[in-house]
Amino acid sequence: MEHFDYLFAAYSIIFVVIFAYVAFIWRRQARLETELHAMEERLQNLKPVSPSPGVKSAVEN
Amino acid sequence: MGAFAAVLRKDLRLEIRSGQSTIALFALSLLIMVVLVFALNPQPIDRARDAAAALWVALVFGGMLGATRSMIAENENGCMRALTLSPIDPAALYGAKLAAAFAFMAIVEIAAVGLITLFFNLDFGADLARLAPSLMFGTLGFAALATLLAAISSRTRAGDLLLPILAIPLFIPAIIAGVKASEAALSGFPLAAASQWLGILAAFDVLFITLGALLFEHVIRED
Amino acid sequence: MKNKIGTALGLMTLGLMLVSLFMVFEWVPTEADQGIVQRIFYFHVPCAWVAFAAFGIVAIAGVFYLWLKDQIWDDLGYAAAEIGMVFCTLVLVTGSLWAKPIWGTWWTWDSRLTTTFILWLLYGGYLMLRAMADDTEEVARFGAVIGIAAALDVPVVILSVRLWRTIHPAVLITRSGEHGLEDPRMVITLLVALAAFTALFGWLLRLRFQQLRTRTRLTILRREVALIEAAVGDY
Repeated sequence: MEHFDYLFAAYSIIFVVIFAYVAFIWRRQARLETELHAMEERLQNLKPVSPSPGVKSAVEN
Repeated sequence: MGAFAAVLRKDLRLEIRSGQSTIALFALSLLIMVVLVFALNPQPIDRARDAAAALWVALVFGGMLGATRSMIAENENGCMRALTLSPIDPAALYGAKLAAAFAFMAIVEIAAVGLITLFFNLDFGADLARLAPSLMFGTLGFAALATLLAAISSRTRAGDLLLPILAIPLFIPAIIAGVKASEAALSGFPLAAASQWLGILAAFDVLFITLGALLFEHVIRED
Repeated sequence: MKNKIGTALGLMTLGLMLVSLFMVFEWVPTEADQGIVQRIFYFHVPCAWVAFAAFGIVAIAGVFYLWLKDQIWDDLGYAAAEIGMVFCTLVLVTGSLWAKPIWGTWWTWDSRLTTTFILWLLYGGYLMLRAMADDTEEVARFGAVIGIAAALDVPVVILSVRLWRTIHPAVLITRSGEHGLEDPRMVITLLVALAAFTALFGWLLRLRFQQLRTRTRLTILRREVALIEAAVGDY
């Protein structure tokens, strides 16, 4: 089994890198979703406070 | 055609009036070559290879700096904005800037050829003349690339760092072909021997001039 | 990320990967000249395939973005570029780990490795551009232009590098184990690995792409909220 270390290293690195990337996406997702919910809530809270008739609402759709 | 000529004239006149950047560019090319002489410690037997290398390193790095500077100058005084808002055909605008860039680089290149003849003990003669196609194609290709990319990089943070990061990888096939063609010329081979390399250079030029002309409008647009 | 396509892709990826690994380590015969190290090849090649495919997607997304001006294409391009970079790096690393025991050197400028390295540089430039410019519509346009330019450059790169290396070959030993797949089991293993990596690519791309879509939505929402708050504040 000569050069087994190289074989092992190569396959290990492939999996480590892929898992690291997936982990990176996962963590980002959690943060994004929190912020998204917060924004949506803010939007909901603002909606009943309608702007003056002269101002065209950007949310009216 | 009118717009193209007008912009070209403007760029050329600007440069001739200030004059400093072409001189500075020449000084820079000179110094790049000096570094290479000490780095390579050229032996007579390698002179064709080393001279070709020095020429192309100077072309790439000198050209890079020239491109950044001219773009920054135009962004600074709002000229680029005015040009974008005017009804000039973006392709014509690109063509004019490309022609101007090429003109400056060509002047510096010619001076650089004089320098390498001295530094690397080449003979003034047919060999140098045979350099013309590879240098011309290379300078044209680089000018085409740099004109497009400098418009991008000058609009970003650390634009002067970004330009080489974007430009050099894209330019690599031209470097490979150009150095080989230049080396062949300086080694005394007829042009036909370097035909494949020159073909690659020509293809590169056609590709990037076309691309630049088509995509320039997307780069300078402001909305 | 909890919907059916994503799960299906994920399971397919997992399944194919497991089968692949079994084939690589248990089923396929050892190559005669290179020994077991040659097995790196079965995952090394698919990584290259993904890297090049991702690159193509970056370019195509770029064209659609410039044409249709819809942010969705930029999100796709950016996701593809990221993933392409990851796999391009893996190609170089696994290539290196394969080269060292076989050729005795960590790196060599043979035509394939050189081309892949240039691809890596092109990706790097694209990602640096995105990092250095603020997230606006402008950077999306720039990214599209660079993506297109780079993709069109690749054929020229391949041509010039191949010519460069045929005239001055860097490595005396030819790369065996690539065109000399003597045993049909080797071919099958490679094909399964390619399938596994294609599924993996699809799964990852979808994941990251959806995330970028969410981020785009967030940006739009932020703008809307800011607009309303400004209007309300004007009382």
